[in-house]
Amino acid sequence: MRKFILLLALLFVGSGFQGIFAQTTPANALKNVTIHNADGSTTGSATIVWRNGVIEAIGTNVSIPFDAFEIDGGDSLHVYPGFIDGLSTLGSPALPRTQDLPRLEDPGNPPYHRAGIQPERKPSELLTEDNNFEAAMKAGFTSAALYPNGFMLPGQVEAFYLSADHADVELIKGTMGLAGSFEEAPGGWGSGAYPSTQMGVMAQFRQLMFDATALQQHMKYYEQNPEMPAPDRDRVLEAMFPLVNNSAPFFFEVDTKEHIERILKLQDQFGFDVVIVSGKEAYAKADELNQRNIPVLAGIDFTDAPEWYAEMKKKEEDTEEEDAEGEDSEEEEISEEEQMYREKQLDAWKAEVSNIKKLMDAGVSVGFSSAGLDLKDMTKKVEVLLDEGGLTENDLVALMSINTANILGLNRTHGSLQQGKNASFSVFDKAMTEDKAKVLHSISNGTIHEFKGN
Amino acid sequence: MKKLLTLCMIAAFGFTAQAQDKGSVLIQNATVITVTNGDLEETDVLIEDGVIREIGKDLRAPRGVETVDATGKFVMPGIIDAHSHLNGVDINEGRNPVTAEVTMEESVDPNEVGIYHALAGGATAIHLMHGSANVIGGQGETLKLRYGTTQEGMKFKDAKRTIKFALGENPTRVHGQGNGVQPRTRMGVEQVIRGHFDEALDYKRKREAYLEAKANYDRRGRGTPPVPVAENLRYEVLNDIIEGEIYVHCHSYRADEILMLVRVFNDYGIENYTFQHANEAFKVAPELAKHGAMTSVFSDWWAYKFEVYYSTAFNASILNANGVINSINSDNDQLLRTLNHEAAKVVRYGDTSVNDAIKMITLHPAIQLGIDDRVGSIEEGKHGDLAIWSRHPLSIYSKAEMTFVDGVKYFDRENDPDDMRIQINPGADFDDASNFREITTRRETDACLQDAFILLAEQSAHNHN
Amino acid sequence: MKKLNIFAVLVTLLFGLTATVEAQITDKPEYGKIAITGATLHTVTNGTIEGGIILIDGGEITFVGENARITNEYTRIDASGKHVYPGFIDGWSGLGLVEISAVPVTVDNSELGQFNPHMYAFTAFNPHSASVPVTRVSGVTTVLSHPSSGSISGKASVMDLWGYSPDSMAVKKSGALVMNLPSSGGGGWWDNRSEEEIKKQYEENLKEINDFLDKARFYDRMMKAYEADPSGKTKPDHDPRMEAMREVLAGEVPVVISADDKQEILDALEWIKDNDDMSFILEGVSEGWRLADEIAEAGVPVLTTTLYTPSRDYDNYQRPYQNPGLMAEAGVKVAIVSNDTENSRNTAFEAGYAAAYGMGTEEALRAVTINPAEIFGVADKIGSLEAGKQANLFISDGDPFEPMTNIEHVFIQGYKIPMDSRHIQLYQEFLDRDAVNE
Repeated sequence: MRKFILLLALLFVGSGFQGIFAQTTPANALKNVTIHNADGSTTGSATIVWRNGVIEAIGTNVSIPFDAFEIDGGDSLHVYPGFIDGLSTLGSPALPRTQDLPRLEDPGNPPYHRAGIQPERKPSELLTEDNNFEAAMKAGFTSAALYPNGFMLPGQVEAFYLSADHADVELIKGTMGLAGSFEEAPGGWGSGAYPSTQMGVMAQFRQLMFDATALQQHMKYYEQNPEMPAPDRDRVLEAMFPLVNNSAPFFFEVDTKEHIERILKLQDQFGFDVVIVSGKEAYAKADELNQRNIPVLAGIDFTDAPEWYAEMKKKEEDTEEEDAEGEDSEEEEISEEEQMYREKQLDAWKAEVSNIKKLMDAGVSVGFSSAGLDLKDMTKKVEVLLDEGGLTENDLVALMSINTANILGLNRTHGSLQQGKNASFSVFDKAMTEDKAKVLHSISNGTIHEFKGN
Repeated sequence: MKKLLTLCMIAAFGFTAQAQDKGSVLIQNATVITVTNGDLEETDVLIEDGVIREIGKDLRAPRGVETVDATGKFVMPGIIDAHSHLNGVDINEGRNPVTAEVTMEESVDPNEVGIYHALAGGATAIHLMHGSANVIGGQGETLKLRYGTTQEGMKFKDAKRTIKFALGENPTRVHGQGNGVQPRTRMGVEQVIRGHFDEALDYKRKREAYLEAKANYDRRGRGTPPVPVAENLRYEVLNDIIEGEIYVHCHSYRADEILMLVRVFNDYGIENYTFQHANEAFKVAPELAKHGAMTSVFSDWWAYKFEVYYSTAFNASILNANGVINSINSDNDQLLRTLNHEAAKVVRYGDTSVNDAIKMITLHPAIQLGIDDRVGSIEEGKHGDLAIWSRHPLSIYSKAEMTFVDGVKYFDRENDPDDMRIQINPGADFDDASNFREITTRRETDACLQDAFILLAEQSAHNHN
Repeated sequence: MKKLNIFAVLVTLLFGLTATVEAQITDKPEYGKIAITGATLHTVTNGTIEGGIILIDGGEITFVGENARITNEYTRIDASGKHVYPGFIDGWSGLGLVEISAVPVTVDNSELGQFNPHMYAFTAFNPHSASVPVTRVSGVTTVLSHPSSGSISGKASVMDLWGYSPDSMAVKKSGALVMNLPSSGGGGWWDNRSEEEIKKQYEENLKEINDFLDKARFYDRMMKAYEADPSGKTKPDHDPRMEAMREVLAGEVPVVISADDKQEILDALEWIKDNDDMSFILEGVSEGWRLADEIAEAGVPVLTTTLYTPSRDYDNYQRPYQNPGLMAEAGVKVAIVSNDTENSRNTAFEAGYAAAYGMGTEEALRAVTINPAEIFGVADKIGSLEAGKQANLFISDGDPFEPMTNIEHVFIQGYKIPMDSRHIQLYQEFLDRDAVNE
């Protein structure tokens, strides 16, 4: 414990030094740590040196520059590439409460925002305070692609370095694409609006694309022919132009097979690139996703294991620990019907948790997205992935780092720990998959973050 | 419910049926109810690659084709339900009185276990319809009950396009009373239709003028470019209706509103339409026959709303006797699986013959859906959509024993496991309430107004949350 | 404008005057001494008699058998080749209390308040409802019309479907007390309440009911004590609700509890055990087949239907059709009902499906005749073809479970009723209407 406190103190002092020497920016060096890299390699007694947010050197036998502030990891710390949340609503302003939405006079023709059509919104312009920034960092994340929480077209996707204070959340890359989903217009009884059904959302998407196409055409014509009537500029429609022109992908949150089929249908009609977000049943469409080069930022917010199964496993564990004392007591008597039901239920659950593994095996580009997961549940879900989902620790690390970086187009600079890449990584007190492993420090873009109340 | 689906349900892919599978089978020695050519006793039906190849006596089975001994049994074309909401993800886009742009094609749930229940009742195709909340609702989708395939796989390829209209109490309650948006009266209903048709025709003019001007400008590259007219999905569909590419199916009850629509459609040159429910159609049977309008009715439901108080179970017989092409539909998941029984009631209520009653659940719905060249009777060249019954299908004791779609056996009473779910919810335990289906019995809730109830009821119980 | 054909107009006027679209039946019933001969008599309680004779005199069946001397005073109906059945009894219907379910002012089955044992369906039953003639021409001669809502909705009444006043139509004013127990399993997947909320409300609701019943028991004891010997006692205040409970507590009027899924049925059976001073009937029981033995053991009869979709996603498709048969097999007394109002006439078809899927026609026939009669304590009057019972019966040309069968004559309380209804009148008027109107 004392060692850790000393380490903390040193790191605190270390980060302060960077401000004093404005002319020459000193480096940082973390030595004697085990580095788990995105490619699955594990290097013990390694050193990582970084300066100006860039990794200068990494590996064993690294010479530490004279102006590097050294920290000794004591061969007990583990470093992982900073995980990237492929799509998240961190820092997003709260959704309007249904009861606060006023009744519309003409629910069939609502203003754009009441229909959930807000593609013009940028998370960088809307970031608000959020405790989950820190929770994300404590789970090993150093960056995230964010979008503002909303409905069918909630806004644009931009990538950021994480920081506990939303004011310090730095932009990595702006306007990476648009977010989308099949969420219907907000509102309840008396305050709802069109579209209020899945088919309505589909039709509305199409109409927006048609309207945006016409506006873009009009703007083009007007530019060369100022004598013609001027176009009615429209922020919302103009925000759709990247989809019309296929210059930025559509990050679309869908889970069921049928929903995936629907977004593919829109892709066929309009030709934009798609990134599937969450994608719980994506494995069922793996072949087609491959064919269309559609990556998946997979969610891991699985259903909990069936209670009876969890109990059964626990009993197995318990009886393994204790001596088997003859007859096992309560053999639950259930009907054949219920037995068959349970079998199907377990199969369905196993299929759900092995989604990512199946996608990987099929060669689909799979990354990670928190997709609504409460990050406090992260450890529990990761455990399931390793126990029942068929993933190894290496798979997991790759999933949340380089794979996601690839999908977001950040892989030149992020996603793995290599010389020349960005210095974003997390320092765990033990191997990530060990029981009660914790992140002690989060380094993003070279900045060392401490956590309030560790 | 949708949220629950997206979070918890996972499809168990234990089915090997491919989309649009075709099969072959030789059914032997049955009484074949052809519908168009009488009842043929001790007759065989050979289906090859999904098509009825031959009907006759003592046919030989080609190599590899399964034979079914149907001695003493009856074979009837698969039942077609011209009005169903069986497996719609949503039924009513009820936020606007006109929503022609939405389509049930994009609201299909292929995993609904009710599809299997319907097959067990001898049904092979349904017209999945938008609800009746709107004057002009969404387009429908004709589906074959290929349980175990995808939403795309269930589509009845090249079936005629259809769309839902609704007159009377439903749209006036939802929009007029519920939202303060026209129509509030039957007068308003007519003007909403006319007004939208006129707007659609104006749009067509302007859009075509724009496209032509654009082509000219883009080619020549000089002159003044035209101001773009955006493609409008809703108006495009309305124009398709006017041009006869879409069959209209109109929810209606009162005789006078039925005649109103005949009048309006005559003005716009729309020729192919079916009145759905049409409890009072019997009052204007001669007019309907004269204008070629068709009807699709219940066998005996009445009195649940005021507009059906003056109804008669003899409706179907009166329409039939007056030469109107009439079908019997369910608009209900339970009735769908006992439509043979509904047809039998038509024989009791009036002078309809047994064969005419059978037409009302086979050939006539096929005509109304524009698929009668392919299904609706047992004829060489038509699809192998049929069922084998233990007795004459209009007997209450008759049971469907096997049901074939495109010659593929989708239901077999001898091989009928209890649990036929495709989509399993891993989060629900055996006795969990989420496994319980809403028991669909009588017409307490107007099936056609599903989803639109939130616009009317005080409670916040929303079907899809 | 077409030229008016005066002759056509006159002829139309003449015929038009005699036709009417309203629910008024213009034909008169026959009554008195009537003999039905030559038919197959399905007595239900005494087997089937081929080529039998039924004699009706003044509302009562006076003879059922093979041979009888028929005097000249008898109007004879030659029913050779036909079948005679006891009038069907629909043991659970809203007929007469609800005219149009979507029009609130015509819905008279739900009084305000939680505890209304003193509300009688009999009082609000409309003898002139358009649904009454529509129902009776199908062979359903008697219904149990029941109130709804609240924890104790009121008393359902057994009503014959012929008469001009509820008084003449009532077979039993207090057919059953209708009670609604809360459900401990919640309201289904759409029920948003938390588990604790559901449990809490369930227990609160149940306590209210138990408290009410305890009060009713107390009142009964008190009144009995007073009635046994009023001397020296002050007469307790009359409480109409408590008074209405007395015949129920004496076990003379059964209590109907609606329970559909397994949990609801288990809850009900559990609660019934603690209230054995009353007799009970379960209604609905769509999952009764899962607890058939338990229900049989409890000796509780049931009212159920068949034409609905399976209650669970993983139930076999035919379970609802098999349900009555499976329960009957286990020894439960089953009555098959319509659970409908304007389509009470379809009771026969609910039974037909049960017959087809395991119950058999004999047991299914009992389920719509003698069983409901016994369950509601009116088996001395109706429910079978027996001398001494009321002449509630119909003549059909075949199996009444078959929809293609025609019901040719219907007798209620000895009246051979006019086979007329709104549906038939509309048919007659519009089958062959005048030429097209433009």
